[in-house]
Amino acid sequence: MTTTRKRLLLGAAALAASAALALSGCSGSSSSTSTSGAGSTVTVFSGQVGNFTENFNPLSPTGSGLQPTNGVIYEPLFYYNKAKAGNPVPLLGTSFTWNDDGTELTVKVRQGVKWSDGKPETADDVVYTLNLVSNNPALNTSGQKWVAKKTDDSTVVIDFPKTAFTLEPQILGNEPIVPERIWKNISDPTKTTNTNPVGTGPYMLKSFTPQSFLLVKNPNYWGTGDSAPKVSQVRYISLSNADAATSALQQGQVDYMGSFLPTLKSIMSQHKNLSYSNSPQATTALFTCSNPDLGCTGPQTDPAVRQALYYAMDRTQLSNQAAAGFSAPASPSLILNTVNKDQITSPDYLKTPQSADVAKAKSLLEAAGWTLGSKGYYEKDGKELDLSVNVVSGWTDYDTICTLLQGQFKKAGIKLAVNQVAQNAWTQAEVSGKYQLSVNSINMGPSSNPYFQYNQYLSTAATAKVGGSATTNVSRYSNPAVDAAISSLASTNDEGKEQAAYKTIQDAIVKDMPYVPVYVNSALAEYNNSHATGWPSQDNQYAFPLPWGGNWGVGIVLKTIRPVGK
Amino acid sequence: MRFYLQKVGFYVVAIWAAITINFVIPRLMPGNPVDVIISKMGAAGQTVTPQTRHAIEVALGGGSGPWWQQYGAYLANLAHGDLGVSLVAYPEKVSTVIGQALPWTIALVGLATVISFIIGIGLGTFAGWKRGSWLDNLIPVTTMFQAVPYFWLALILLLLLSRVVQWFPFAGGYDVNSGLMPGFSLQFVGSALYYGFLPALTIVLSSIGGWMLGMRNMMVSTLSEDYIVTAEAKGLKPSRVRMTYAARNAVLPSLSGFAISLGFVVAGSIVTEQVFSYPGIGQLLFSAVSNNDYALMQGVFLVISLSVLAANLVVDVLYGLIDPRTRAR
Repeated sequence: MTTTRKRLLLGAAALAASAALALSGCSGSSSSTSTSGAGSTVTVFSGQVGNFTENFNPLSPTGSGLQPTNGVIYEPLFYYNKAKAGNPVPLLGTSFTWNDDGTELTVKVRQGVKWSDGKPETADDVVYTLNLVSNNPALNTSGQKWVAKKTDDSTVVIDFPKTAFTLEPQILGNEPIVPERIWKNISDPTKTTNTNPVGTGPYMLKSFTPQSFLLVKNPNYWGTGDSAPKVSQVRYISLSNADAATSALQQGQVDYMGSFLPTLKSIMSQHKNLSYSNSPQATTALFTCSNPDLGCTGPQTDPAVRQALYYAMDRTQLSNQAAAGFSAPASPSLILNTVNKDQITSPDYLKTPQSADVAKAKSLLEAAGWTLGSKGYYEKDGKELDLSVNVVSGWTDYDTICTLLQGQFKKAGIKLAVNQVAQNAWTQAEVSGKYQLSVNSINMGPSSNPYFQYNQYLSTAATAKVGGSATTNVSRYSNPAVDAAISSLASTNDEGKEQAAYKTIQDAIVKDMPYVPVYVNSALAEYNNSHATGWPSQDNQYAFPLPWGGNWGVGIVLKTIRPVGK
Repeated sequence: MRFYLQKVGFYVVAIWAAITINFVIPRLMPGNPVDVIISKMGAAGQTVTPQTRHAIEVALGGGSGPWWQQYGAYLANLAHGDLGVSLVAYPEKVSTVIGQALPWTIALVGLATVISFIIGIGLGTFAGWKRGSWLDNLIPVTTMFQAVPYFWLALILLLLLSRVVQWFPFAGGYDVNSGLMPGFSLQFVGSALYYGFLPALTIVLSSIGGWMLGMRNMMVSTLSEDYIVTAEAKGLKPSRVRMTYAARNAVLPSLSGFAISLGFVVAGSIVTEQVFSYPGIGQLLFSAVSNNDYALMQGVFLVISLSVLAANLVVDVLYGLIDPRTRAR
């Protein structure tokens, strides 16, 4: 989730620019750029750098369809809001039920929906889409198959060969429903660019150029009243860096964007028409190559060292200096202490310590046989406690974390060398396991269900020996008890069993600490209220608001906002 | 004839070398595109399972097999003008993606290079003709602009001209909010010129010094040649001596430099395009490199190397016409 923002921060140019801007204050007035053409327009900056590629393929497995494809032009059956706990919001579906053993999912489909070209959308389209994904290995990222069938005009039943509770947010919330009559003629749905998209979403494509494209209200949209789109046009633009984005926001040329702006608070205080929301979701952590059995080498393979790192961090300083104070405290359980509060099984796991506990870090190391050497660093068997951390150069917040950690760890007798590398090399080191520490983030899955984080970052199935390619579990963590708990999470939706599994997992990782949490990173979205109002706010995040690719919530935001003066 | 055949032979070898290096270099870089896509998907909250890797490998296809097979396929595709499919702009063809960006870069950097060459050579001619005049004072100023780090100059201009006084837009290739469609309408060209002014200004400011200094010094040494004295002795008009006798001979070294910079026009200016969010090749190359998009990188490098070679060929031929000595054996 941080990738887009990071790309914006890239480069000395952007860095110097923000400094220049900060010095100059902001001289830009909030001149409004009302647009020619009919009615109200809002302008969205989705983080797109360079030219847009005309691609509105909602099924693209690489997520290369343009931002509004999923959520704004095409809709799923339900919307899973990751920004707050709660039930899925019905879109093309109205309700769903599971059978007891999780092998059959029954979905009630909304009636009277029309495609943007006026033809009716039916349960047949839903069945067609779901089976298309299931049967095409290049579209099916879950790797599990299912069979959907229509039992009556308003009911679709999906059968699974084995228990599949965890596929629910993927199938209901992450599969765009496409019209059968159009897609059955497309020979390869992974490669089509679908330049004339016909969807059920609140907006439809009007015109496209590589620099900008325009959506207009879908006249056939099913929603009425509050859930009907009210702003007549939405324009998407591209900008190349955070500096240009800042200027655009201040000059009123962008109404909706999701960039990390270090000077956000001063911008907000100077421009009363702007507002923002922060939805921290991704836990920034020191990923460690933790498992010597799978080939990891280095001092960090000692759990005591990882524990010592955990206690030696001064997270208040990290948050203030690296995240401009916009981050939130992380939980050692690696899930969020906001939306996942009920799934954190011990009050001790709710929050990481916010200040450094050097004495505790030192005592942990000494208990594990490390002795303080003459240079002020711990030693064992004649070797210094010397760690290296990989970080992508130009991702300024991560770079700052590393610089600060160097000083903080030194106080606890731990030597840290910072390796600034290019993104490719950084990814490759993690995937192949040839690293000691790496700054990265633990991301949420398709819903706020903790199963997804645990399965992706902790299960043995998602890892590989050092030298092989680990999918997501790059710490090489492998613990049979945790694996068993993860698979029990996958096979039940009984709350008691789930809590027991969470407890097993959380007890294990708090002890083993394969990922050392730093903080929950900010996710800032900025809004201009002079053309439209009703944007999400800090207290009312009715959808996850960041206008990044793959975020279904943007469709909800765009149909909720109202033009000013109406 | 032999002269031109030799030239053509040389260029064939050069093209082959460029194509081959172009194939090798991206493959020496660390990382692979599937990993990059997976880490992005994870960051966007998509489900990532071991099967996801498989799904993406299936979807992207190709890119595997021993190197000589890849090389063979690469040459064969190239012969058909097929540069492959871009990953950044998946599933768009590389040729389409480059085609979209190329006109912007050629117009911006090309015009700016030509303008800067003409102004620089013009000023250099006069500065050399009238040594010690006020024009000489321009040289330290223009060289200073050239010495200032380029991105810094660009940022300062951006700050002054589009933030402090809001004369110029700060980003983009044309006014996208006005609903203009790219094409040869007066309105669109006007808007594109307006948006291109500031980036062009930085390119001109930062490159004019080199042309001017080189031309002035060549003028000075040319003016001491015997044929200039002869021309003056014949009583020719000073303007004719200056242009036809002195400047024509003095411009030759600058001309070959100009050819090379024309070739590099296609490479765009990564920094300019980043700072001004300009939709050209520079930005494209930047995103190709940061996403391990081999196909796109190859395409961009190929276009760059071919245009450098083409510009050189044209100048080689022209040079032969302008200066007969280069043909002589």
